[in-house]
Amino acid sequence: MAGSGTAHMRNTVDSVLTVRDLTVEFRVGNNKTVKAVSGLSLDVVKGETLAIVGESGCGKTTLVRAILQLPPPNSGEVIFDGTDLTLLPKENLRSARTSMQMIFQDPISSLNPRMTVHQLLDEPLEIWDRGTRAERDERINKLLFSVGLEPDLVLNRRSYEFSGGQCQRISIARALALDPRMLICDEPVSALDVSIQAQILNLLLFMKETHGLTMLFISHDLAVVKAISTRVMVMYLGKICEVAPPDVLYSNPAHHYTRALLNSVPIPDPTKQIRTELLQGEPPSPMNPPSGCRFRTRCVGASALCAEQEPQLREVSPGQFVACHHPIV
Amino acid sequence: MFNNSKFTKPTWLSISWLGLMLFLAVFGSLLPFKSWKFVYEDDLGVVPFSPGHILGTDNNGYDLLASLIAGTRMSIFIAVTAVSLGGLIGSALGITAAFVRGKVDTVMSTLFNVGLAVPNLVLALALVSVLATNVDINQSVPTWRRVMVLIVSLTIVLIPILGRIARGATLSWSGRDFVTAARSMGMRDRQIIMKHIVPNVLPALIAVAFLAVGVVIIAEASLSILGVGIPDGASWGGMIARGRNDLEYSPHVLYIPVIFLAITVISTNQIGEVLRSKLDSREAKV
Amino acid sequence: MSSLMSIKNMSVNFDTPGGSLEAVRGVDIEIPAGMSVGVVGESGSGKTVMCRAAMGLLQGSTVNRTGTVIFDGHELTAMSKEQVRELFGSGMAMIFQDPLTALNPVRRIGAQLSEGLRIRLGMSKSDAMARSKELLELVRIPNAAAVLKSFPYQLSGGMRQRVMIAIAIACNPKLLFADEPTTALDVTVQAQILQLLRELREDLNMSMVLVTHDLGVVAGNTDYVAVMYAGEVVEYAPTKKLFADMRMPYTEALLDSIPRVDHKSGTRLSVIAGRLPDPTHRPAGCGFAPRCKYAQDKCTTDHPELKTDPDGHVYRCWFPIGEAL
Ligand SMILES: Nc1ncnc2c1ncn2[C@@H]1O[C@H](COP(=O)(O)OP(=O)(O)OP(=O)(O)O)[C@@H](O)[C@H]1O
Ligand code: SF4
Ligand code: SF4
Ligand SMILES: [Mg+2]
Repeated sequence: MAGSGTAHMRNTVDSVLTVRDLTVEFRVGNNKTVKAVSGLSLDVVKGETLAIVGESGCGKTTLVRAILQLPPPNSGEVIFDGTDLTLLPKENLRSARTSMQMIFQDPISSLNPRMTVHQLLDEPLEIWDRGTRAERDERINKLLFSVGLEPDLVLNRRSYEFSGGQCQRISIARALALDPRMLICDEPVSALDVSIQAQILNLLLFMKETHGLTMLFISHDLAVVKAISTRVMVMYLGKICEVAPPDVLYSNPAHHYTRALLNSVPIPDPTKQIRTELLQGEPPSPMNPPSGCRFRTRCVGASALCAEQEPQLREVSPGQFVACHHPIV
Repeated sequence: MFNNSKFTKPTWLSISWLGLMLFLAVFGSLLPFKSWKFVYEDDLGVVPFSPGHILGTDNNGYDLLASLIAGTRMSIFIAVTAVSLGGLIGSALGITAAFVRGKVDTVMSTLFNVGLAVPNLVLALALVSVLATNVDINQSVPTWRRVMVLIVSLTIVLIPILGRIARGATLSWSGRDFVTAARSMGMRDRQIIMKHIVPNVLPALIAVAFLAVGVVIIAEASLSILGVGIPDGASWGGMIARGRNDLEYSPHVLYIPVIFLAITVISTNQIGEVLRSKLDSREAKV
Repeated sequence: MSSLMSIKNMSVNFDTPGGSLEAVRGVDIEIPAGMSVGVVGESGSGKTVMCRAAMGLLQGSTVNRTGTVIFDGHELTAMSKEQVRELFGSGMAMIFQDPLTALNPVRRIGAQLSEGLRIRLGMSKSDAMARSKELLELVRIPNAAAVLKSFPYQLSGGMRQRVMIAIAIACNPKLLFADEPTTALDVTVQAQILQLLRELREDLNMSMVLVTHDLGVVAGNTDYVAVMYAGEVVEYAPTKKLFADMRMPYTEALLDSIPRVDHKSGTRLSVIAGRLPDPTHRPAGCGFAPRCKYAQDKCTTDHPELKTDPDGHVYRCWFPIGEAL
């Protein structure tokens, strides 16, 4: 079977989201296709925060958009709350999507500049006819309060009058308006200033606890991921390299790519500088991925086997799954 | 929407001029003038600023002011109607194409590109000839019929111009995350287009529509000069066409409509440009 | 230790419709020869303006710069624009956050790179091309000959930044200003670029001012750090010293608010509440007072003076960390 295996799947009744063998292709030019996500499986259990990390272009955004069916994947299953979204008729999909809300990277572009904050937050409530005018207004005020904004000061202003951090708060309020079960965050703090990042991360953690949310969190920043996740998945060129709880992954990475990624993170402590060999070059084109292990062209541990056979995910320590022929021990 | 900074003097002049033209077009018939078709048998080819004929008369004895007011009504009516229709159809096609993508978009952009590749006037000329095939040139055709043919032709000329603008703007706005957010909260495509795309695309379209009015006025005049527009001086173009015959003895018969037409086109261009630059600076902020 | 650039009491004001905006305020910094100096701070704290003002790159009638900047024996603030420009390339050079906007999109890399060599060093066309290729190899671009013929959009972000570095070092500058050179890049590419800069500095004996918002980047790549807040340098010290013994409450708060890979997962971050003060209405006292957990009454009324510890550690605070009240 193509793909990176399914050993990491827990198949419990608590799974909020289960993705099986998901493939997303883009056509580029004449009869060429890019496999942005390639036979990927994952599951997210209730209350957990699954973080997906990887370099830009590895398919993180494509993956979450395919989960939301925006656009639908080329093949594979996306089972949310027991229903396969890929099989749902358009009308049912509309309502199913509401329990899965998204926070985007660019806080400015995620809010329509022509709408006031009141209109922005009222929109989801209006579409689904949630309550009377007065009830909706009360809900909007509550939502704004909960994300730390003063309703009276912000209701009639538009997105471009706010800072990035404030826009992100508005986005979070809007995402929570329909009481979703799951929050999907695509680089929600990458565009924000260092001191604002912490505010938004803490807000997300707080919202997750108070609303009993399950989260899918995409980021290229390993430090941010460590602070917020309960399970981490490392991706490279549309495939999974490693899945593990954060403390295990960060202290004992088993995949060579994970280790290289961790070694590149600058540590704010002059006494703790690691200067091992760096990852050389940049990821190869996803149009023409290397045979066998996709990481082999940059891997220090590569052998002949790595070019011939694709490694499958397997458990190397409790809860730690790695797709590598020669994992680091 | 555009009130955040003051207009310059040329812009104010343009606005005033267009206001005047619009006034003449709408209320011109209520003004206390004799019909433009009234022939002043005793005043043939009178120069401007003569008593009773502020803009003079032509060699047939038609009063030029009365003619101009009637011509303004016709030219403005044709231009505004064609631009409105072209804008409506063009933006509907362009927005749909850009929003749906895929085959629809490929077909639509190809059509737009073909339309744009043919020079405006040639296309309009061809369209008028085709649409007017069952009209015998030698027979006197009712003016309303010629006007319809002209409007339809000019509308078709405008569709690719405005359609492409709408398509481009839609492409850039529908890529924004707020559109994805609207989808993920369960909004229907039609609602997304109406609430999120159209309001953002509209300002750009309005700016271009002003430029298009200028293009249409010139096209209409050119067609009339070529003899396939509105005959008998019922529009600016018609007046210019007829003025050519009087050029030798009464040059003002030609100059006056040309000046009106030129100022009007310069004004629409000026306003279109101002709107566009306002829009650009605002968009940069957004 | 000799200083390559010394900035004395430099302030920069911009005239804006909303009044005078004080972007940089009374900055005093020595950049020692051969060293790398980090400049950190939140966005809007004045990092970029400080660097550009020091280089004399801010122009126009709305800019008012006061103070003195001495570079390599030249008093830049007393020189004409033309004279300062003579120093670009061989004296000072600069690289930017977004190399795509800094490169001309419609010209080939080779043309852009060789142009400077021909103008500055009077090289012939073929010599300049040959040298361009060498420079691309110097910044570790594989397949340099092909890259010379490419357009900027055909290169990845990391490659474009390498090209920018090649352009910057073409005339062997003594001081390189790097303004967030790796912010737009992936961590792995960032690590490569930072390593390249370290090696080039060594080989070319070049000093560097590295502007960044990332304290991690500072920790591993600089000898000195200047922490900026609301237009001022609020702390300046050797990097090791600064991390071991912070005096400035702001620096401490900044460090505590960033997530770190070397901390346990799920560690709650401490937050710096609020935002930078409005640059058109600077408060009378310490700009950090509303957000500072050590603030006393004096902080809101009196502007803190610059203090220097005997070991040269400079900070601007009435109640520095580690000092008994
Ligand atoms: N519409 C598209 N057409 C063609 N290729 C695409 C398209 N969208 C994405 N890709 C390609 O798919 C791959 C994965 O892209 P994706 O945007 O998912 O990466 P990412 O990990 O989210 O990157 P970043 O961190 O930069 O956002 C990339 O190689 C990208 O070039
Ligand atoms: S499978 Fe081989 S090439 Fe891939 S990561 Fe493991 S050792 Fe490296
Ligand atoms: S001067 Fe006062 S407010 Fe400012 S940093 Fe020091 S203790 Fe805090
Ligand atoms: Mg992405």
